[in-house]
Amino acid sequence: MSSLRTGFRCLRDIRQIGKVAATAQWQPTSKASLAYRPKQAINATRSITTTAPRLAETTTTEIIPSDLEPADQDQSAVVQVPYARAVPVSPSYFSRKPIFNDAFVIVQDLARKYARLPIIPRDKVTPTAWRTKEQYRLAVGEHVKGRDYATCMKLAKRLNQIHPDLMPEEVTAGLLPFKREVNYYLNQPKIQPIDQYGRSHGVGKRKSSVARAWVVEGTGEVLVNGKPLSEAFGRVHDRESAVWGMKLTERLDKYNVWAMVSGGGTTGQAEALALAIAKALCVHEPALKNPLRRAGCITRDPRKVERKKHGHVKARKMPTWVKR
Amino acid sequence: MIIREFGLRQGRNALAAPLRRGQQCLRALSTETSGTPVATADPAVEAALQTNPENPTVPSLFARTAKPTRRRPVAPDTTKADWETAQQMRHNLRNVGAQVEHRYSPSDDVTLELLMASQAHMGHHASVWNPANARYIYGIRQGIHIISLEQTAAHLRRAARVVEEVAYHGGLILFVGTRPGQTQIVTQAARLAKACHLFTKWTPGTITNSDKILPGIPVEIVNEHDQPIGGFNQHLMDRRALVPDLVVCLNPLENFTMLRECSQANVPTIGIVDTNTEPTWVTYAIPANDDSLRCLAVIGSVLGRAGEAGQKRRMEDAKNGKVTWDTPSEIKQFMEIQQKRARWAKRAADEEAAASDTSGGLNGNSSGGGATKDSEVFDESMQELQMEVDAANADDVSPQLRKMARRTD
Repeated sequence: MSSLRTGFRCLRDIRQIGKVAATAQWQPTSKASLAYRPKQAINATRSITTTAPRLAETTTTEIIPSDLEPADQDQSAVVQVPYARAVPVSPSYFSRKPIFNDAFVIVQDLARKYARLPIIPRDKVTPTAWRTKEQYRLAVGEHVKGRDYATCMKLAKRLNQIHPDLMPEEVTAGLLPFKREVNYYLNQPKIQPIDQYGRSHGVGKRKSSVARAWVVEGTGEVLVNGKPLSEAFGRVHDRESAVWGMKLTERLDKYNVWAMVSGGGTTGQAEALALAIAKALCVHEPALKNPLRRAGCITRDPRKVERKKHGHVKARKMPTWVKR
Repeated sequence: MIIREFGLRQGRNALAAPLRRGQQCLRALSTETSGTPVATADPAVEAALQTNPENPTVPSLFARTAKPTRRRPVAPDTTKADWETAQQMRHNLRNVGAQVEHRYSPSDDVTLELLMASQAHMGHHASVWNPANARYIYGIRQGIHIISLEQTAAHLRRAARVVEEVAYHGGLILFVGTRPGQTQIVTQAARLAKACHLFTKWTPGTITNSDKILPGIPVEIVNEHDQPIGGFNQHLMDRRALVPDLVVCLNPLENFTMLRECSQANVPTIGIVDTNTEPTWVTYAIPANDDSLRCLAVIGSVLGRAGEAGQKRRMEDAKNGKVTWDTPSEIKQFMEIQQKRARWAKRAADEEAAASDTSGGLNGNSSGGGATKDSEVFDESMQELQMEVDAANADDVSPQLRKMARRTD
């Protein structure tokens, strides 16, 4: 069987077409999309000679420009162009999610193009704050399907594993829509200072009490609101609570504490003080943070008085049921 | 919450753990008191204490128990250098090896050999065939239908011609391939032909209910050189969604809804028809194997190249002053209405100016009569204008392209 070519001798040769760079129809995305068009696609000039010899230029649709004579030149706001037609801005127009699908196509192309670059293991990658599906939906305003987004994120995370020294710029740009603006993984906790007198400051809260404690190296004196511990707290349990962090780490005789407590009752004040002292202690000796946390001195107890609800006697208590 | 027992038990263990901190920390951790209970955050005092031979600098307890931390020496990261070396070696060794005398180089044409190599001839099992495809079937081999590649080539040629002419006449082409793996084929074809692509599910109603499905998806107005023009904001807000002028479908079996909508809206379709597909669903069928991605890639790129050729011809003609498409009627009407509005606004302004002149010179009576007459005329013309606007909004005229692309035989 002979090839098609013998039958198509009369037809035009369009081999040169592939060498001409396509002008951009899609203005916003053209640069990105054309940039990593696979090389093969550009060279693949193989094509069927489907074009019949051009008929003597079809005259039916021919329109000579400037047949629309402008009515008045004064109005600059009025558009006067001989030819205008509407085209979609994005090639994903009919998919209803043009922004996501354009980004997805870019990610897919990048994943294909840079599949061979060396990668680093997942745990070595700089932590990246990815947008969740809901965040992406909010940011873009398109209702992206979970399945599509998961597929896209899989590729994006694989691209993100490329060795940082070899990471191409276009990959960084292509992944940008899927990252959050602020990478909260890179946030550093603020280092609390020790002031010029050797004091560290800590604030603790519990129930409705607030405690501020200044801890300084010393001999184990504790002053709460200007009073020694035994006067500030009548209950032994409360006294123990207040200096619990120091007691458990055997620091009771090494630091002096000067604290101010306000609000709430004695239990709240004592435990607020424990939190404040523990925090201030950590400033002096950061290594103590773990044992203090295990002892429960670092964690803020979030329980508060529950509000009263209408229809209830107290927060949860219901009125007694009365038969009529 | 303070955990008393746990803290007493665990706190000592934690304290006994080796410390990575420096000297200050060890000093603070020691149980031995250092005699002088002074706050020593001052670096000078600290240094004095450290260097004082009377005060032991290193507290004994933890220094004795602490294990030396084992640290592996970190090897320098040579990944980048290695990668570059490997690339260089690949480049250098490219020409090493046996000389291949006869190698297969595909011709510029799509030949029957190429179609066969891409498995375009493989149909489905003979039992699942659609008898309407009988004319595309060459025979049965080992129970499956073999598609006649001559038919495939002829139909492919016709379809490519259609794509090229639609592109040439500025039509909006849509490539659809919704099976997994067809994304690349579809996007590449769309990129070549400057067309649209769809690789996810076709939302039912995208054509027939486009006022609900596609509002707010950005559209721009371009001139004959495909450069965007401004000044159409009002029109873009009011206009209806776009409808494709040609749809190329790689898997018609899964896209019946879309093809049905296209036929309702008079949009011509090109589809790849396997032996089990109904060929009348599409306007231009291409009998081929729609289960082979290789075959789809060949057909998709042929059609994409055809579209590219059409676009190129169109741009060249536009450069020479020949425009192959007509401004759609809704845009034309919008522009006319704009011009008319401007004209009337100007006339009203002129008349106002004239009226103020006459009232300044003569009595107010006659000038008042003239003004009312003018305003009546103005109102009438505004009504006429409004009617035209309504007509334009109601009008749903598709471009002539569809007529052109419709089957003519």
